Amino acid sequence: MSPMTSPLTDFERNARAVLEESVARIDAHTRSRLNQARQLAVESAGPRHRRWWRTFALMPAGAVAAALVLAVLLWQRGPTVHESPLLEGRITGVEDMDLLADADGLDLVEGWDGPFYEWAADQPDPNAQSES
Amino acid sequence: MSEFATLASPYSMLAASHGDVDLTDEAKTRSRALNQFLAGVELKAFKIAQMALRHEDDALDAVQDAMLQLARAYADRPASEWKPLFYRILENRIRDMQRRRTVRGRVIAWLPFRGEEDEDEPDPISQAPSPEPQPVRRLELDEAVGALQKALEELPRRQQQAFMLRTLEGLDVAATAAAMGCSEGSVKTHYFRAVQALRAQLGDFYV
Repeated sequence: MSPMTSPLTDFERNARAVLEESVARIDAHTRSRLNQARQLAVESAGPRHRRWWRTFALMPAGAVAAALVLAVLLWQRGPTVHESPLLEGRITGVEDMDLLADADGLDLVEGWDGPFYEWAADQPDPNAQSES
Repeated sequence: MSEFATLASPYSMLAASHGDVDLTDEAKTRSRALNQFLAGVELKAFKIAQMALRHEDDALDAVQDAMLQLARAYADRPASEWKPLFYRILENRIRDMQRRRTVRGRVIAWLPFRGEEDEDEPDPISQAPSPEPQPVRRLELDEAVGALQKALEELPRRQQQAFMLRTLEGLDVAATAAAMGCSEGSVKTHYFRAVQALRAQLGDFYV
């Protein structure tokens, strides 16, 4: 056996020559199939597998800046409260969320509110007064 | 039409801007390098796989899979790393095929009606070696190749692998260790034992 740096022995040289000869004898059909496999492999490493962020790198800087400014403007404008009746339900939903997030509010919702209702029932009806 | 042409030209110039051209050139250069690398290793890799699997089609499949995986997963790595990576992938593929074959063999052994479908007759035309007429020398080489292949096939897998990678592919110990997924010490041991076994079987000068 030859260590890494030492020259090959006669046996190893002969073995290498024989192995290389056996490689040289590989038939044309096999060589052709290997060639096809290689072409396929090289194609598969082509631009289809390019990193996605490289496409952004290719975008002109001005276009990216304009898109960012537009996005910020749209974000800041946002929908106004009375912009559309369709949004009302959604806004109420948000208010409900505020109520639910409030710990005191939750106590009112979940706890026993008998005294409150009793107190409310004792109060005079303000509408009735105004009507009369 | 002329307006379109006037408008289109600056965009086409943009598309062929500096970065794009660089990228295309880089991709082309890498493809060329990969093609060159694979062309340089494919025959030896096939021989190694054939020696391990003892089946031509399986060996071709293993080499093809290794090529594809290298190209898909490691084409961006430095070219100097490709060879040990490629042989590592190939070795894994060979091992998978050997395992699958073992399992299949066990299953088939249990089947009541097992045919001879694995004993495909090789196509004599496709099996024909490349034409190199050198009668006497060729006969000697035939014997030497046959004897070495037979002796190699009888070696334990790791010894065979170490011997093939170092002797046929010419990998150094470090690269062989990377390809085999073991330490350099193990490579030296496997290689030493392989040479000892082959020498005992074939003699010092069998060519």
